[in-house]
Amino acid sequence: MIIALVVIGFIFLIGIFFYNSLIGKKNQVTNAFSAIDVMLKKRFDLIPNLVEVVKQYTTYEQGTLTKIVELRAKAGSPNISNAEKADLDAQLGNSVKGLMVNIENYPDLKANTNFINLQTTWTESEEQIAAARRTYNASVTDYNNSIMMFPGSLFAGMLNFQAIAVLETAAEERKNISAKELFNN
Amino acid sequence: MSFDIANNVALQQVLATMEIERKRIAATQTKGYIFITAGILLCILGFFLGFPIPGVIGGLIPLIYGGVLLFKINDSLTAYQSAYKTNVIGAALKFLDESLAINPYQGIEASEFMYTQLFSNEPDRYKTEDLVTGCADKTRFYFAEVHAEYKTVTQTKNGTRTEWHDIFKGIIFAADFNKKFNGVTIVRPKDFGAAFGAWFSKNLFSFSGNDVIQLENVEFDKTFVTYGSDQVESRYILTPAMMERILNLNHQTKYNISLSFIESRMYIAFPLNRNYFEAPVFKSLLSPETVNEDISTIKFMYDIVKELDLNTRIWGKE
Repeated sequence: MIIALVVIGFIFLIGIFFYNSLIGKKNQVTNAFSAIDVMLKKRFDLIPNLVEVVKQYTTYEQGTLTKIVELRAKAGSPNISNAEKADLDAQLGNSVKGLMVNIENYPDLKANTNFINLQTTWTESEEQIAAARRTYNASVTDYNNSIMMFPGSLFAGMLNFQAIAVLETAAEERKNISAKELFNN
Repeated sequence: MSFDIANNVALQQVLATMEIERKRIAATQTKGYIFITAGILLCILGFFLGFPIPGVIGGLIPLIYGGVLLFKINDSLTAYQSAYKTNVIGAALKFLDESLAINPYQGIEASEFMYTQLFSNEPDRYKTEDLVTGCADKTRFYFAEVHAEYKTVTQTKNGTRTEWHDIFKGIIFAADFNKKFNGVTIVRPKDFGAAFGAWFSKNLFSFSGNDVIQLENVEFDKTFVTYGSDQVESRYILTPAMMERILNLNHQTKYNISLSFIESRMYIAFPLNRNYFEAPVFKSLLSPETVNEDISTIKFMYDIVKELDLNTRIWGKE
């Protein structure tokens, strides 16, 4: 009788341990996504300044600028899923990358201090977002591993923990940047 | 850039002058050791042949003479070793880059050694020398030789026994990092203890404020354990390209390196088993390999900046 109670108590304690650890990992995933969100917001905040500075020097990039502004507005709307947000950000990133290449044709703009600062901040934000995405993917992998591996899989099944998809790199990002393609934008 | 000692006239002249002094010191030291050995032999011989007192008296004279010779040459030896560092290593540094300079009597302070967070033991005995400072393009850096030890005291039948153990022996390299960051990221070699500690803090309980960071590069994760105060920031520093560069750097060294990134500065600890920048006494200064080994060390340190691409300043830090 006592042995049975001890065994049940032990299983109960293990159950609590795994449950808590799964919840901790799930919260880590949410936390990691909010880090991406913060970085994205920082990046979206750069857009109006970038558009303003570029506008002053050229009238030929209007198409790209309008597209960038539109994408920013869409990404900023409240009813948008995480995946959509990530996708919009990827599109936005590509458009800005294209713009940066085209700006090679405007020596005055290239030499503008404001523009140089914006360019640097943009590069910084690119790498920060990449770091946040990698952190998110690492947390997701950690969480997925614990709900798929034994004995976590037992508890996860009972408590209905679902696997989460990692953030794929957008197809455009994975491709090597072709300057020719960008110039033809 | 290759460093051709044979064709460097100025350095060859310095080496030739110092070689004369080296020969004089080597000859005096050899003479001193011969007299000391002869003195000891005479004492032993006296005992064996049954004339202990004449043996000791006869042995003591060459022994004292040998000792005096070694004592008298000691000042010249110190001056010669110092001149080697200033004139030979100093000239080699200037040849590599005008901004490089060596200060034989300075190093990395014990407080900075602990500040790197690469070592958990507080040193009981700490030696540092040969501080080299310089600038490779936009990146300022410095490095110095460090030997840090801790002691253990054990009780024995005859009292206590003190033993010294190495915490670190080698070169500590510090450079301005090309990105701004506020937290701490530490990269340590993955030996058994570190691997167990990492597993423990990842799965059960973390003692320090730093988390274990799991990185995507499999080889990097097999070679090192990474700790960081901020997961995102650690990944901002350790980009896939940076991890490759660190692995490349690690492949060039005999022992695994450790790295830490603190307040926009990076530290690298290179464990070494020999003393660098020491002038040879019983080996010719004119043979190329003597000086070359020291110069390749400096060149290696200088090239780290290029190897880790620290001069690319596009992330808002000048």
